[in-house]
Parts: sequence; C-alpha cells; structure tokens
Amino acid sequence: MNQTASTTMPRIVTAHAPEGGERIIEIEGLNKWFGKFHALKDISLSVNKGEVVVIIGPSGSGKSTLIRCINNLEQHQDGKIVVDGVELTNDVKNIDLVRRETGMVFQSFNLFPHLTVLENITLAPIRVRKWKKSKAIERAMFFLEKVKVPEQAAKYPGQLSGGQQQRVAIARALTMGPKVMLFDEPTSALDPEVIGEVLEVMVGLAKDGMTMIVVTHEMGFAREVGDRVVFMDSGQIVEVGSPDHFFQNPHEERTRSFLSKIL
Amino acid sequence: MGMIPAREPPAGTTGFTAWARHNLFGSVSSGIISVLLGAFMLWAVFSILNWTLFSASWEPLWNNMRLLFVYRYPPELLWRPLGVVGLVLFLLGLSAATSRRETGSIIRGVYWSMAGVSWIPTVIALFAWPSVRWLWLGASLAGLLGLLLGRALPRFGRSLPWLWGASIPATVLLLYGVWNSGPLQMVGTRLWGGFMLTLVLATVGIVASFPIGVALALGRRSTLPAIKYFCIAFIEIVRGAPLITWLFIASLMVPLIFNVGPEAIDPLVRGLVAITFFSAAYMAENVRGGLQAVPRGQSEAARALGLSGWQTMSVIVLPQALKAVLPAIVGQAIGLFKDTSLVFIVGLFDFFEIGRRVIPNQTASLQIPGGVYMEMSVFMTLIYFFFAYRMSIASRQLEKQLGVGER
Repeated sequence: MNQTASTTMPRIVTAHAPEGGERIIEIEGLNKWFGKFHALKDISLSVNKGEVVVIIGPSGSGKSTLIRCINNLEQHQDGKIVVDGVELTNDVKNIDLVRRETGMVFQSFNLFPHLTVLENITLAPIRVRKWKKSKAIERAMFFLEKVKVPEQAAKYPGQLSGGQQQRVAIARALTMGPKVMLFDEPTSALDPEVIGEVLEVMVGLAKDGMTMIVVTHEMGFAREVGDRVVFMDSGQIVEVGSPDHFFQNPHEERTRSFLSKIL
Repeated sequence: MGMIPAREPPAGTTGFTAWARHNLFGSVSSGIISVLLGAFMLWAVFSILNWTLFSASWEPLWNNMRLLFVYRYPPELLWRPLGVVGLVLFLLGLSAATSRRETGSIIRGVYWSMAGVSWIPTVIALFAWPSVRWLWLGASLAGLLGLLLGRALPRFGRSLPWLWGASIPATVLLLYGVWNSGPLQMVGTRLWGGFMLTLVLATVGIVASFPIGVALALGRRSTLPAIKYFCIAFIEIVRGAPLITWLFIASLMVPLIFNVGPEAIDPLVRGLVAITFFSAAYMAENVRGGLQAVPRGQSEAARALGLSGWQTMSVIVLPQALKAVLPAIVGQAIGLFKDTSLVFIVGLFDFFEIGRRVIPNQTASLQIPGGVYMEMSVFMTLIYFFFAYRMSIASRQLEKQLGVGER
C-alpha cells in the first residue's frame, strides 16, 4: 500500500456483515459529537443474525459510545441506525421498541442495589413485557441456572462477588428475550480470577447463536467465538477482519502498535 | 504446618478497671480532668435534684395541664382529641403486630414507646383527672387492642395503608367537627392550641412537605425550562428567608396583598401553608442531594431494559435517592417539629407559646418568685425531647435496616 496515500488521504473503512445473512443491525454514516468533540466519525457497521462482533481499541476511541448509540443511551446527530427493522429516530416509541430487543451488559454491572437478584431480573419483564409474576420468576430462574448462580436469587447484589454480579446482570438482560446483546467492557472491572467465569457464560451464549456486539480487550474470547473484529481509534473504524487476520497479520500500523501493547 | 491457637489476652487489659485506667486516668493531666469533671457532674445532678424536689413550684404547671395540652378545646368534647390519640395508638398496634418486613422492629419500637408513655397520663388520670379518666384509659386500651387484634388476625396487615389513609379524614372530622351542635359540633381552630396544635402542625407539615419537596426536586432537574426555573426560584426564595419571616408574611402581608381582612384566612391555615412550603423547599434540596448520589449507570441500566422514564425514576432512582438522604429527611422532620414553636407569630397558641406566655402571665398574680418560667421550660424541654429523640432513634434504626443489600 502506498504509505503517503494512507496517511494523507482520509479513508472510510466500513464494517459490513457478509452478504447472504439476515441483517439485524445496520449502521450507516453514523456521526456523533459531544459538544464540539467529534466522537464518532462516519461509522458504517452491520451485523447479521447470530454473528459475534468484537470491538477493540484504545480508551477514548469511541467503541463504548458506538454501542451505546445502538440502544440510544447516547443520541447520534447524523447517520442512520436500524435495529431489527426499526430505525432509531427521536420517536420515543421506536426507542422503546429497540431497547426491548437489545440487552446491555455494563462494565460496572449496574445491578439495582435496593432490589434482590430475583427482583432485579423480573422487574423489566413484569413492567415492560407485562408478564405474569410467576412466568417472570420461572424465566428468571432458568437464566440464573444458565449463568450458574441460582442459589443467589434471594440475595442483594451487594452480597455477591463481582463475577457473580456480572453474571446476574447477563441473566437480567437475557430474561427480556433480546435479539441482540451488547457488552460494554463486561470484564474490565473484575478481579482477574473471576474474569474466566463471566467469559465462560459469554462463550456459551455465543455458541447458542446469540447475536452479540462485544467491546472488550479479551483477545482469547475474540479468537474463540468472534466472527469479526473491528479495531477503532479516535472515533473511526481503522481495520476490520477475522480474529485470525488480527492475530497473524494486521495491515495498519496503528492496529499493530495497539495489539502489541495488549497482547 | 499447625495453626497457632487463639490465646486469652494478658490479664488486666479488659473490663471496666482496665478501660477506666486507660481512658480516664491515662496520664496525670487526664486524671485531673476526670476528677474535676466528675465533681462538676455530681454537683450539677445534686443541684438539679435539689431544685426539682424543693425549690421549684410545680403547682401552676399541674393546674394548667389542660391548657398546656389542648388549650381552649371544649372540656366536654375532650373525647375527640383523645379519640385521635386512641386511633393512632390502635393503628400503631395493628402495624406493630402485622408488619413482617425488615422495618417491623422499628414500628414495634415506636409502638411500645408511644403506647408505654400513654400509660403515664392514663394512670395520673385514673387518680387525679376524673373528667378524662375513662377517655385516657380507653385510648391506652385501644393501643393494646390494636396489637392483640393484629396478632389474632394478621390479614388486617394488608388493609393498613387504607386504614392509615382513612385516619387522616377521621382526625380532621374528630378535631374540627361537622355540625353546628351535637357531639360532632364544630370546634373552630381559634380554640385549638397547646401540644395538640403542635402535633397537628408538625404532622401536617411533615406529611405534606414530603411530596411537594420530591416534586420540587424532580422539577428542578426537569428538561423543561419553565418548570425548572420555577422550581429553582421557589426553592431559593423560600430558603433565602427565615421561617419567622414567612410566618410574618403569611399573617400580615397576605391579607394586605389580597386586600382581605385579617380574619379572612384562618390563622391555622396561614401557619400550615408557611410551614409546609418552607419545609418543602428544604426537603427538595435534601432529595436533590439524594438524586445526585445515585450513579448514572442505574438509570442507564433501567432505560436499557426498556423501562420508561417515569418507571426508572419511581422504581429505581427515587427509592435509592430517598434512602441515601433518609437521615437528613428525619433530621428535617425533627427540626420542623421544634420550629412549630414559631407559630405565635400568626397568632396561634401552640405548646411553647402557652408554656412561655399564657401560663406565666396567668400565674404572675400569684407572686411566685421568678414566675413559673423555669418549671415550664423544663417540662416543655422534656416533652419536646421525648418526641424528637424518639424520631432520632427510629431514624438510626431505619438507616441500619435499610443498609441491608447496600453495595
């Protein structure tokens, strides 16, 4: 590649899903500013049903902002985001529809400390999905089994370890029956010895066919279940490829220098 | 490798003597201070006892008990305020017996102290106040009845919110009355006074200022500028002047501004409005502090789950915010309870006003040296202290209980 061209000519890298799959997320020409700061620049990214997309990049590169735009926790000023056929506009009805179909897992868990684990999980199904309490509890217990903490159902989040809290948070998102799961650095706030138990749950979820967008630095996870890896820097997509591509021979100098620091 | 077994601490390092040696007589100077302070405390206790038992004149207080507690409320209608006492004790007993939540022990504590204390006037009445003898006994027994009923039929617990809600109109009905004559004849607020009035002012002020304060706090964070700036202006203006000023404005300025006679608005209403809004402004700032203490991630997680803005506020953010500032809210309730003593400004005769002016003036002609100010002050202090301290205890217990599940 011509060195001068790649550094002087702005180049928009798109991260579209392979043809033939069923598109569930479609982002086109997304731009986002915080005040005057240009946080996301011309992002185009699409995701097929069942795909696992891993987003990596240095802090401040806009990866969290990007996935927070997908469920409208951040509002974009320019471009188009379509989730499961619903476009995110200022229409509150659409925003609610999208949020119902996307589960989110946060870096800091964000369990509700004044509610028990079971109440944390059944709150939204009862109030948003209007399920009967018995059905909500039954589904909640199913997913608590799945993340291997059913015995903690009656406890408060503060009585659980970080790894257990994050697994409960995953169960909370799953119980709503989302079509897409968004993970915002789910293991970054965890002690090293419990990261494994959370990743194990996420790997299981990916193998079950859940559509996932995961912001993480866990390259082992990316390699095991990631379909595509997206590298972002200063608000834009720099490089896209399979995990193997990233591990064996990334093109961009910026990608190489980042990977050499985290691997 | 074997573990080291736990051993007893060295002799003389535990128990009271060790504590006293370490804390009271740790050095020469602290020993001297301990002895001096001890001597002073003995002298103070002795002086107080001496004054209480031999110098003080308790007769005017004893003779004016009715004035102090219900002012000019018609004596033949005293069954009505005492009926309210009985009603509250009954509901407290019912709540204490049926509450199964973590807060149950706190309610039981409040019940036992209130029901226990009610037996003091009951016993006195049985021997010395024949006109209200059976009324006090009835009120105290109603408290016991509530407790026993709650134990026998726990399903009453479910209707308690309704019963407490119904007790508000029932109280108004009993205290104010309905008709021009008969047992439920109207008793104008001009005849209200004493500790009864203090309790009415404090209860209404606390209960009414809470929702207004929460609404103001939420309004202050509103994205609609009209609501936001109205709330900010209200809070800042009300907090900018002392309560006594607002009471003054309520009693003098409002009739002037609205060009009505000084009698047009009931002084009790004036006092209540001033106290409620004043308290609501402070409540709003307390609640705002709590709202700020709830991390952003909480509402984000709730919104991400699909909860509406209103659900997020009422189920996730507000409960945590109120919990965080509960001690401040109770502190404010205690302050409000004591601040009701300023309502003499609007021409009301509350507990403090009667003890401070009415009774001393009446007894001035008896030529008691020093009047009865001291005796009245001591008695009023004890009463204020009992209620304020009980609230403080409940708040501390509540804090501890609600700490369960805290992150």
